[in-house]
Amino acid sequence: MTSDRTPGARSGPLQGITVTDFGWMGVGSLATRLLADFGARVIRIEDRNRLDMPRRLPFYKGAGLRSYGEELADPDPDMGGCFNNYNRNKLGITVNMSMPEGRDIAERLISISSVLTENFAPGVMEKWGLSEARVRELSPDIIYARMSGFGHSGPYADYRSWGPVVQAVCGLSGISGEPDREPSGWGLSYMDNQAAYYNSVGILMAIFARNRGAGGCDLDVSAVEAGIELLGPTLLDAGVNTRPAGGSTFRTGNRLDHPAAAPHGVYPSAGTDSWVAIAVFGDAEWTCLVDALGRPAWADSAEFASEKARLQHQDPLDAHLAEWTRGRTSHAAMETLQAGGVRASAVQTAEDINESDPQIAFRGTFFELDHPVIGRARFEGVPFTSSTFEPDNWRSGPLLGEDIDYVFEELLGMSESEIQDLRHREVI
Amino acid sequence: MSRPSDAPLTPGQAPYAGVRVVELADDPAGEMIGLQLANMGADVVKVEPPAGASSRRAGPFADGVEDPDRSLAYWYYNVGKRSVVLEHDGLAGSAAFTALLEDADILVSSLHPLELARLGLDLDAVTVAHPELITVSVTPFGLTGPWANRLSSDLVGLAASGLLITSGYDDHGQPPVRPGGNQAFHTAASFAHQGLLLALLERQRTGRGALIDVSMHEAAAMTVELANLYWFYPRVLVHRQTCRHAQPVPTQPALFECADGLYIYFVLILADPKPWRMLVEWLDSEGMATDLNDEAYGDLEFRQANFAHIQDIVESFFLTRSARDAFHDGQARSLPIGILNGPEDLYEDEHLVERGVFETIEQPGYGAVRFPTAPWRMSGMPASAREPAPTLGRHTTQVFGDSQ
Repeated sequence: MTSDRTPGARSGPLQGITVTDFGWMGVGSLATRLLADFGARVIRIEDRNRLDMPRRLPFYKGAGLRSYGEELADPDPDMGGCFNNYNRNKLGITVNMSMPEGRDIAERLISISSVLTENFAPGVMEKWGLSEARVRELSPDIIYARMSGFGHSGPYADYRSWGPVVQAVCGLSGISGEPDREPSGWGLSYMDNQAAYYNSVGILMAIFARNRGAGGCDLDVSAVEAGIELLGPTLLDAGVNTRPAGGSTFRTGNRLDHPAAAPHGVYPSAGTDSWVAIAVFGDAEWTCLVDALGRPAWADSAEFASEKARLQHQDPLDAHLAEWTRGRTSHAAMETLQAGGVRASAVQTAEDINESDPQIAFRGTFFELDHPVIGRARFEGVPFTSSTFEPDNWRSGPLLGEDIDYVFEELLGMSESEIQDLRHREVI
Repeated sequence: MSRPSDAPLTPGQAPYAGVRVVELADDPAGEMIGLQLANMGADVVKVEPPAGASSRRAGPFADGVEDPDRSLAYWYYNVGKRSVVLEHDGLAGSAAFTALLEDADILVSSLHPLELARLGLDLDAVTVAHPELITVSVTPFGLTGPWANRLSSDLVGLAASGLLITSGYDDHGQPPVRPGGNQAFHTAASFAHQGLLLALLERQRTGRGALIDVSMHEAAAMTVELANLYWFYPRVLVHRQTCRHAQPVPTQPALFECADGLYIYFVLILADPKPWRMLVEWLDSEGMATDLNDEAYGDLEFRQANFAHIQDIVESFFLTRSARDAFHDGQARSLPIGILNGPEDLYEDEHLVERGVFETIEQPGYGAVRFPTAPWRMSGMPASAREPAPTLGRHTTQVFGDSQ
């Protein structure tokens, strides 16, 4: 399918909303992806002299094995799969903000927008003259969404961060791991994702309030503070009950103290690095597990006769269970256990969820769009459906500067020769 | 029809002032959604069975005293809500429940499809009966599809989604390790909040409510970051590594132990000359740069060839100072370095204190408890003061009168 890439009217709950989007990297572009999916006209402003990292990361078809930190010297900005995934449905223009003419263009865009987003280090927008006061002069009811690691005030406002730093500082990494070892933390920038989700929510909430006559607002979301909310009851446990420093006592590996559950773990299955996760809460679920296992003799032991007993004998319990799981594939174990009413899953890989997970396939979680340079590519959709609206997936990610003519002619009313001149002088 | 949630906001009111929410939630996903709504000004009525929501029995408990009104899990997720007790069996036909829905803007449900069926609660039918109501359902796999009735948990949800396999230790003889804090549930809650806000905006536009069907499985499956991208494009799998990104090929450790036994996270980026210079200056200022000042290290290829040596020096350097000093001194030099705080370290952190991240609320029968405030700071719209987490059924009479 070759889709028409010409911008047009959008549909969805956010139709009619124009966003001037300085958001970049993973967090910024994921935060505004939701807005673009549901009908907002999101105009991403990029800098040709400082390419967005997702444009440079070597996520290419056929690229083979390469860590994402290993960059190419001169990457094709239109080849990057990470950028494509995060920037579908958005418009793309380039503006040189170090030139006065570039800053003038940004101001004109802001004056036709009702949302402005950015996730630079605090101070960058101000350096370009885009203080909260100035922005409000340009568009009185605008929502000025500012996303950062530590927030726009306080002693650490200027601290550098990215997902792993945020999840370390907020406590999420330190509580994760085996109790007698160093933290295992996270194998991804979880807090880049969650910070983006919280920022999307904040923007939508501000639009909701504005529709109720609250006017615009400045929105200050700190990723660390989102991470603190995500700690959950552990945070109160640390505040109310005295625990030793460093978070190590909160690390319980795959076992679960609250609510207490046993067995609760990840067990080896047939194959290399192949595992099955099993969680059993209370006596009724234990009975389901024992039945699903075929009522082995060991399960009759007094050691496992009550939940309290099972919690006290988790090592032998886990050993018995591992013996059973080891003899089958993770998916076979999952099927047997789920059929018996046991909470269990194969520890799936990206290949599993993309290629063979029947639920993901049924729900249409992932979808595909064409791209002029990349070709057909897969995208993460949204994990919810609505009875009254759906995402408006009209186009894959913009090529670098793809929508300059549309935005400058149609939205800012410039002539072709003005645009030519701006290009010539490298303002855009 | 005019609803309080349509009324103009007056200055100083929170965004959800006047928004009425009914919560049927028995897991952290549903309870987190209600919490976020309550934190931003909504009136959230939590409908509990006579035995109380299961979070009342989950613990941990304040001072270890097992009591349904002392569960920190319950307090954490339910501060600022109202608690009413209604027998769940027969909820579908209950006049009290129907009356609650009549007045509500939002129904939050995280009841499992099997439980909904058992109670005769058909969310499609609820949506038809209450055309302006926004129903947000969060379930392990969504309300439809071949796995809809399967059972899950936080660990099982992370396992199914592709997130769990990315997290754990370098040694793959050990199983992947669940990252802490109910994150499968919380990921679903974040997307549920997005979905319900879109529905609120759509209702402002059209007057119609909606049924939002959130799948925890899908929510976590699109929160795996690079794992999907590596599959979408080069079609390779990532492999977990201790406390750093899972990658298709091994990369250097990023976790460093400090003199006090605590840890910091720091990725040594060799390719970028600026952070390299900052790092060497820092080491040098403490007399620990050894040979890293040699001209040869100005060359990227040389740095790459001697990475192990550099890593050894950096490891020794961090072992000579506390994690807190390493964090602040490194950040003063613009290096993206993070201390691995324990949750107890957060309460006294000067930055968080200055930002007003914690609010003290008097919990009846216990005393002062510090709760985190909502992470959305909106000028002119301060979050409203919150009531404590309610004792079981505290608001039953207030909400239903004496008839219940």
